Amino acid sequence: MIEVEVFSSPGCGRCARAKALLSAVAHELGIDRIRWREVDILKEMDYAVELGVMCTPAVAIDGKLVYTSLPSVKKLRAELGKRLL
Amino acid sequence: MFTIGKLARQADVSADTVRYYEQQGLLLPVARSAAGYRLYDGQALRRLHFVRRAQQAGFSLAEIGELLALKQRDAACCRDVRSVALEKKLQLEHKIRLLRGLSQALTDLIGICHDETRPLDQCPILAALENNVAEPIQG
Repeated sequence: MIEVEVFSSPGCGRCARAKALLSAVAHELGIDRIRWREVDILKEMDYAVELGVMCTPAVAIDGKLVYTSLPSVKKLRAELGKRLL
Repeated sequence: MFTIGKLARQADVSADTVRYYEQQGLLLPVARSAAGYRLYDGQALRRLHFVRRAQQAGFSLAEIGELLALKQRDAACCRDVRSVALEKKLQLEHKIRLLRGLSQALTDLIGICHDETRPLDQCPILAALENNVAEPIQG
């Protein structure tokens, strides 16, 4: 099971796009294989700082910051696919 | 209209600060007097207050320039400003984390010195710094 976390803030348009993107890829690869969590950065600021998040949206996979800006569908799918092997 | 001195006094800054803000492109005089002195209006004063408040909130002058540019961009909206503020908060939180680490490193160093009367060549703090024993100075 891979854990994907999307760091965003409520009302962030770019973050909404990131979440929609992630959601589509996660569903495509199987929600039983990918656990994804939306992290409200204002509520979990300490955790975000611990991972090194400096801007939103950001994406962490298995507790490590992987994307500091919006990844393309292709990139995200490839990254998750690689980890599922 | 205000002269530079009057504008500076109204915003509780020095005239040099106003000139520096001008050099950085954050402020501009609206006119010149017959003698060539800079003259400012109420809008310039509001802008100066904006710059000061933003500085107090931790924004650098470059970031304040970005905020001022956003204010004047027709296509910009509240979301853009919020995003700049959020990124600033993240930077500050990172800095606080780093400072906490540095503070803890100092606490550790202070903790290893139990005898203040020792001569310098037996100072455990200096020895720890020289030998990199205490090492916790990280982000």
